[in-house]
Amino acid sequence: MNSSSSSMMMMPAGGSGGRGGGGRSWPSTTSVSSSGKRIQKEMSELSSDPPPDCSAGPKGDNLYHWVATLFGPPGTPYEGGIFFLDITFPSDYPFKPPKVVFRTRIYHCNVDSAGDVSLDILKDGWSPALTISKVLVALRSIFTNPDAYKPRVPGIGHLYLADRAKHDELAAEWTLRFAR
Amino acid sequence: MFRSNNVAARIFERQISTPAPGTSVHCARRFYENIVPCHTIFDIECPDILFRKFSDDGEYLVTFSRNHQDLIVYRPTWLSFSCREDDCLDHDLPPKANKFESFFTQLYSVTLAASGELICKDFFLYSEKNQFGIFATSTAQIHDAPAVGGAIQGIPSIEKITFHLVRLEDGVILDERVFCNDYINLAHSMGVFLYDDLVAIVSLRYQRIHILQIRDSGNLVDVRSIGEYCREDDELFLNSSAQGMAITDRNRANNIGNGLDHIHHMPETSFLSGLKQRLLSFIFRGIWTEEDDPTSRMQCLKKKFYFHFQDYADLVIWKVQFLDRHHLLIKFGSVDGGVARNADNHPAFFAVYNMETTEIISFYQNSAEELYTLFELFCDHFYSSSKNSFYMNFLSTHSNNIHALDLLKCNKNKANNLQQFVKKMLATLPFNCQSQSPSPYFDHALFRYDEKLISATDRHRQSTDHPIKFISRRQPNILKFKIKPGPESGNSDTRTKKISSFLFHPILPLAISVQQTLFLQPAVVNIHFRR
Repeated sequence: MNSSSSSMMMMPAGGSGGRGGGGRSWPSTTSVSSSGKRIQKEMSELSSDPPPDCSAGPKGDNLYHWVATLFGPPGTPYEGGIFFLDITFPSDYPFKPPKVVFRTRIYHCNVDSAGDVSLDILKDGWSPALTISKVLVALRSIFTNPDAYKPRVPGIGHLYLADRAKHDELAAEWTLRFAR
Repeated sequence: MFRSNNVAARIFERQISTPAPGTSVHCARRFYENIVPCHTIFDIECPDILFRKFSDDGEYLVTFSRNHQDLIVYRPTWLSFSCREDDCLDHDLPPKANKFESFFTQLYSVTLAASGELICKDFFLYSEKNQFGIFATSTAQIHDAPAVGGAIQGIPSIEKITFHLVRLEDGVILDERVFCNDYINLAHSMGVFLYDDLVAIVSLRYQRIHILQIRDSGNLVDVRSIGEYCREDDELFLNSSAQGMAITDRNRANNIGNGLDHIHHMPETSFLSGLKQRLLSFIFRGIWTEEDDPTSRMQCLKKKFYFHFQDYADLVIWKVQFLDRHHLLIKFGSVDGGVARNADNHPAFFAVYNMETTEIISFYQNSAEELYTLFELFCDHFYSSSKNSFYMNFLSTHSNNIHALDLLKCNKNKANNLQQFVKKMLATLPFNCQSQSPSPYFDHALFRYDEKLISATDRHRQSTDHPIKFISRRQPNILKFKIKPGPESGNSDTRTKKISSFLFHPILPLAISVQQTLFLQPAVVNIHFRR
């Protein structure tokens, strides 16, 4: 708690640099400093009240590149797996959604063979009111409820609908091999 | 109990008394105090060859031709001569004693290096069970090789590295394994480890640990490759299920009219390699379970895990050794430390990996005192070349020998910075395979010698003009024998640097010392034996 509040206190210094001496004017929407401020705020929120079984934090000292870790929820074929994801914030965050890529291989109809996630709230459904905690919760929910009707990988989506047992068996095998 | 040093008294004692249970071999080894290589024949007439070492069972002397093309194997015999007079011991040795061939019989010479390749003169591993030798030949290395096809940046490349499996009995080449455009650290067998019939080869360039098996039939068989994937059929599994995914992709491509040329091979992805995933999840789990409170756990993860995530993800495999048939000790570090000669200043990590369950068992930084303590107490577990190699049980280590432990404790107390000392000690891990001579003359329980000048570790050393003394351990004032490399009269030219290497026979009181000056002058070879 201490370190996050101290880093919060350091923010105005970095922020004024971005604004470039324009007095205390309203920051422009694309200003790096305002997105940085927002990410800082979300980070401290996430730290004080993390959603269950997931966590995230910046890689090194780059506030815009995060790594998130999700536990495969019990009762799903992803149980026992640990999934690492790269989260990249755009400079005009929160007006554009963050980009999320799986660094751990996963057999899932909403994640393609390059690790890209198709999640409504990360595309058209994005709203600046959403936060990283909400994104983590949404990511976690695709483990329990894959959206097979809007699949990124139609083959897996089809199998999920047609033969759920076979799908779960394959997904569990992937988890065992690639996500432990 | 009084123990005589007289060999006759000792034989008599052996006859009438039974040693304490389990110590018979140790008692027998005490006879080495009486039988020592105390006679030196200086500068013997010797074929111009590069000496590698005696095989660990003492059956073969492995050498290479000066042009790095041929393997030449000798059988150690013993100088034999007849003498007309009664007390032949007082006579000088016959003139033929000055010949290398009087001590060693050449078994065969076989060409290993194909065109453009040279034998790596530091490399030789011996499979004692079936008397097979593994040798390496390679082409020259390219330093600024482009990192293509999954290779990592900053590692040199060798166009062709060939491992040869040779039956040492008759020199028949049984099998070969070729690595192309790869980099394997061949010096002192660093990049290869042999345990029983399993061989681990570290490809630095492609970050794989290739596990091969030597079959009794003389074949090298691929067991698995650890790195990108963990299990032997992971890639097959992935490709077979990825085909399903690719077909659907292709259908989609067809729909938008791109045709069939759009065929997916495995795309260049940002996925963590199999081993990295195991490593990162092991580190993550460790920190996660360390803290119970969600808030402080999050702080901890941020500081200890996410902040260093990229550093962990960028770690490369430097070196590997077997701990047993299933467990590997893997050293990880940054790219620049992998090929650097002095890698002490680079941060490094050790992981114990079970290749059957594909689990990381433990993970330490190279300054971890916990790992050092394990190393101090259980050093023998790290010297695990093979379970059926009998002589290796008698290597003196600080875990099985009080004198070696004393030396270690002394060095530890002298070190003014414990962390530096821990790093220095752990820098020897993972051990080089078969780098220790099992000769009883290096047994600290029997002899005391200056470890700076000579030791069981197979290394070239800078030569001094003084003979190296082997002093009886139990009678601290009695010099048992001296080993003097170089010419008898000493060197007239004291300015040039001289390098010597020592080859001790694992059983017989026989040693070869080779002293070399730089710049292609012929080496001075001395034979030390018991007359």
